[in-house]
Amino acid sequence: MLKSAVLDMNPALLKSSTFANEPKWLADLRQRAWGKIESLEMPVFAKINYHSWPLLKLAADPSVNVSVPKEVTEEAKNYHLATIGQIVAKLDLNDELKKKGVILCDMQTAIQEHPDLVKQYLFTKSIHFDENRLVAVDAALINGGAFLYVPHDVEISDPINLLQFQDSRQATNFINHTVIVAGENSRFKVLQRSATVGEVANPAHIMVEIVAENGSYVKFSALDSLATQTHAYINRRGYLEKDARIDWTIGLFNDGNTIADFDSDLVGIGSHTEMQTVAISTDRQTQGIDTQVTNYAAHSEGNILQRGILLGASSLVFNGIGKIIKGAHGSKAQQENRVLMLSPKARGDANPILLIDENDVIAGHAASVGRINQDQLYYLMSRGLTKEVAQRLVARGFLGVVLSDIPMVEVRDQMVAMIERKLVNGQGTE
Amino acid sequence: MATLQVTDLHVSVADEEAKTTKEILKGVNLTMNTGETHAIMGPNGTGKSTLSETIMGNPKYLVTQGDVTLDGVSLLDKTVDERARAGLFLAMQYPAEIKGITNSEFMRAAVNATRPEDDPISVRAFLKELDKNLSILNMSDDMAERYLNEGFSGGEKKRNEILQLMTIKPKFAILDEIDSGLDIDALQVVSKGVNEMKSPDFGVLMITHYQRLLNYIHPDQVHVMMGGRIVKTGDDSLAQELEKTGYAGLRDEFGLDVDLVDEDVPAGNGGR
Repeated sequence: MLKSAVLDMNPALLKSSTFANEPKWLADLRQRAWGKIESLEMPVFAKINYHSWPLLKLAADPSVNVSVPKEVTEEAKNYHLATIGQIVAKLDLNDELKKKGVILCDMQTAIQEHPDLVKQYLFTKSIHFDENRLVAVDAALINGGAFLYVPHDVEISDPINLLQFQDSRQATNFINHTVIVAGENSRFKVLQRSATVGEVANPAHIMVEIVAENGSYVKFSALDSLATQTHAYINRRGYLEKDARIDWTIGLFNDGNTIADFDSDLVGIGSHTEMQTVAISTDRQTQGIDTQVTNYAAHSEGNILQRGILLGASSLVFNGIGKIIKGAHGSKAQQENRVLMLSPKARGDANPILLIDENDVIAGHAASVGRINQDQLYYLMSRGLTKEVAQRLVARGFLGVVLSDIPMVEVRDQMVAMIERKLVNGQGTE
Repeated sequence: MATLQVTDLHVSVADEEAKTTKEILKGVNLTMNTGETHAIMGPNGTGKSTLSETIMGNPKYLVTQGDVTLDGVSLLDKTVDERARAGLFLAMQYPAEIKGITNSEFMRAAVNATRPEDDPISVRAFLKELDKNLSILNMSDDMAERYLNEGFSGGEKKRNEILQLMTIKPKFAILDEIDSGLDIDALQVVSKGVNEMKSPDFGVLMITHYQRLLNYIHPDQVHVMMGGRIVKTGDDSLAQELEKTGYAGLRDEFGLDVDLVDEDVPAGNGGR
């Protein structure tokens, strides 16, 4: 294996990640994960070779910058929790929600103030610390993130908005881990916005665990726009109990190389997930995105929609994995993976993978890799739009199908602006 | 006054499977000025849509001879978007459906395409105009916020073409079978929209099979097209005559060597 996929097992790494007054169970978890790192394999992303990426090039002596830049403060005003690296820039949860027992804080505070709750959900249900090398590294070196706990029967109409900046003003390790717990029959929306400040080349590790207990309904949306020099590993996972539902809407607009793993485990009877991901790759960027639904339980339903656009000499691979375990009768797994190529030099792939071990199921897939629809282009141009504008509108329309599922208008506008910027830049390079 | 002129136009289309080309238009001549309403009638497969798509600049059609000019300037080397900005509009038979772009943002982009980059139409002025046109066409406000033609019925698509026409305000509009698939009420509404546009600065070319449309939008000139040429031009009464005699009568009158698609269909085949 190439050296870059190997972590320098320097104990200083562990030490620099440790939270203040860390409970023993967490220290033990870190140690167990640390001990497994070298024996575990890197996760497999079909048709993507990322082993030369500096994902494990972590700083043994990271520095922490406690100042909060103005762009973060400004951006934070629409959010409940805003963090930059390990620093909390803003936390604002209204009293009504607090009274109902809703907990929202950064991971360090959660571990100090709600250790038993965190212990119950961190690396216990959604993600297991020894799944692969990258997960083990993250379990050993977790140094930030958020904790959101919504108790049973609590319904929240406005979305809970999380803003998480990677601090690349200096060499730091961004091992950002967010845990979201939906108590029985709770209903709420969460938005996670991640981005980079600063110019230093640091890797980013972003993990999200959602535990959806019986009858709960979580609408999770995310918009990622990490910097060009950031190599990213993103892992978001849902664990769904009986009749629970998670709707995922993820916009992956990083400028740098990214591998992303979005999974839902349908563990409870009648659980249901809708997983939508849209992405753009530009320049020489490579992105590999796996979206997987595993139907463990009867009458569970999981639908995947992935759409991507390629510009420049970039690569984008979507693997859609539908896995139905024996016994999950009456379950459904559908997926649609579509890739639009706007450059002859780009390489796109859309691979549906169905692994079905039960007879009484409904499963299907559709996949396409194509160029822009000429009839649509002609129609738009016949109204006077230039080819470039018409192309951008068709492309935006192609990704825009998910826009209405993003709850915050500012983030929707940001996503439209990002699509526009990437398309304009991409067209300029051809 | 602006003038659109088609001179000795010959057009071929490529048959990609057979790797051959077929000549569809065999020398079309036509002159229209703004302020005028023209209708082209003719049997199926005679090149009416080919003519409209060629004037608009659909790259699928290959001009082998002749010219299309706007105020004396040839359009043939201009792309479809350049022709649109020069003042041409084609209401299409089968408009494309595009998800993710609302009707209203598309139309605003189209209106702005003909304006200087630093002087886009104000949102307020645009919406006011849009509301007025929606109400003339009996369209609900939410049609403007729906995705472009996505999930529209046949009739809604036709109305939407006319809505775009009224909002973009071209010099010349070609309406390619705008009446097909419309019930009588919808036809009245669509005609109302087109008649609303009538002005000395606007010309219409209607392509249709049926005289019915011409009861609502009265043409100054009617052209009959057969076998890739305009074979007869007259006034309103020509359309009524055609309705009585059919195209076969006209073909025989001129001694044209043209196959009419439906000619040999027997009245009934019960004895089979």
